[in-house]
Amino acid sequence: MPEDVEAMIEQQVKTWFGVAVPNEQAREMARQLAGVIEGFRAVRGSIAFEDEPSSFEAALLATKDRELLP
Amino acid sequence: MTPTMTVAATAKTDTPSVAGGAALLALSLTEAADAVARGEITAVALTQASIQAFQQKDGPLNALIRLDAEEALEAAEGLDHLRKAGRLLGPLHGVPLAHKDMYYQPGKPNTAGSRIRREFHPAHASTALQRLEAAGSITVGALNMAEFAQNPTGHNAHFGDCRNPWNTDYCTGGSSSGSAAAVAARFIYAALGSDTGGSIRLPASLCGVTGIKGTQTRVSRYGAMPLSFSADNVGPLARTARDCARIMKIIAGQDAKDPTSSREPVPDYEAALTGDVRGVRIGVPRDYFFDDVDADVGAAIDAALKALEAAGAKLIPVSLPYMEAVATYGSIVSRCEAAAIHAEWMRDRPDDYSIHLSARIYGGFAIPAAYYIEALSRRGPILKAFADAVFCDVDVFAAPTVRSKVPTRAETDVDSGRAGTIAAFNAVSANTRVVNYLGLPSISVPCGFDARGLPIGLMLQARPFGEARLFRVADAFQRLTDWHDAMPPTNALA
Repeated sequence: MPEDVEAMIEQQVKTWFGVAVPNEQAREMARQLAGVIEGFRAVRGSIAFEDEPSSFEAALLATKDRELLP
Repeated sequence: MTPTMTVAATAKTDTPSVAGGAALLALSLTEAADAVARGEITAVALTQASIQAFQQKDGPLNALIRLDAEEALEAAEGLDHLRKAGRLLGPLHGVPLAHKDMYYQPGKPNTAGSRIRREFHPAHASTALQRLEAAGSITVGALNMAEFAQNPTGHNAHFGDCRNPWNTDYCTGGSSSGSAAAVAARFIYAALGSDTGGSIRLPASLCGVTGIKGTQTRVSRYGAMPLSFSADNVGPLARTARDCARIMKIIAGQDAKDPTSSREPVPDYEAALTGDVRGVRIGVPRDYFFDDVDADVGAAIDAALKALEAAGAKLIPVSLPYMEAVATYGSIVSRCEAAAIHAEWMRDRPDDYSIHLSARIYGGFAIPAAYYIEALSRRGPILKAFADAVFCDVDVFAAPTVRSKVPTRAETDVDSGRAGTIAAFNAVSANTRVVNYLGLPSISVPCGFDARGLPIGLMLQARPFGEARLFRVADAFQRLTDWHDAMPPTNALA
């Protein structure tokens, strides 16, 4: 985990998008991305899917409710 | 030529048989529509009642952005003439509706609740709204909403916060704030909302009405302001599951203008409303959805599930797989997509956003593309694994729509800069946004009140394209209980 997520994000967003940090609340929400980073770290290795082509729309159809009501 | 239905030859044709606008607006959408079809009341009477309600009572709620009174009354007169001639446009003939101000109508401003789009005049029309009007509905105006449909509370710095009809100090929920408030306050019979992370179900829950987001791809998004290409959904808020079922039947289905819309056939949802839940297996999650649930909320959900059990449903504890991944992935998809959509305005007009929205969008720029792609690429496989593990044992699973009591507007006012507001703001949508990642259909129905008199919502999920099953259970619940009939105290509307 980077020690200063806020500074890293500020530089990254300015560099890539030309967007400046708009307010203090943005800084706080950016700091909270540390939780997202932690979430991705926790997920690593926990999901054992083959990296084959997949489609979310196809998954919706493959898992659909087949007992048509009414 | 517009298809029409034939009216029964015995239909009355003159003045309304029910006196008073409040009495008319106390009807449900389906009751009102069916009464118009039978010739018992007129479209003009319903529309006048709705317009008057907005004009006389909306001040404290601020649910309305624009009222199109003259145009609506002209449309109502035309529909009454048609009905007298024995023709009905469809199952919403003569029913006034109003919609979140993000559904495009050519020639009319479409603000999306924003300063940036205050003068935006789209050239094309929303498919969902067109389908509702083709079914005979009348559009009386445009409703307040969270700026660019991007907050779960209903705050709006540009048009003013929409306020909860049960107590105006409290959040309506967002982003379809005006839709829920206007339906709860009996200004209109139903409204379109949109749901990317809970924006239909949250305000439905907080305001005590019924709202459904269909399966991802179920309803065309053409002509609706985009927030997230992967997670946006169009859907209704109304008082009852039956009302929502009628609207969903009309708006769902393939649309050539929206290539992401599904070709799956649309069932007759109202025909599925048998009231019978005997043998229906209702999953009660062991994981995630009940974490740190408020005591009042937990008790209301428990009572709701017991009511369904007493009617013959089976309650089955279920474990939900991959919820940590679902919550993590689900937290970034719409943020990345919103950042992409708003990048130019965030560069050029950052001061035209409210504080909380620019703060929220800003973080989206910092999420690496590889994470975004990981989240999207695993969405299908996770859905398959989730469905295989959960829906082999249960038909639907239940959860509180919101784990906490309805928050006050002050508690969640991020723009104020007060400590704790961001956490309270983010917590509101914890249960809803994960469902958007999975793409499942999800409905919220009123199931009680907390100790302060604010509504509580029960949320039900089914397999993809299982909307009929949700409507059946929700309707059965509303036959067993009367939470959906409760009306907000009139002192809030004085």
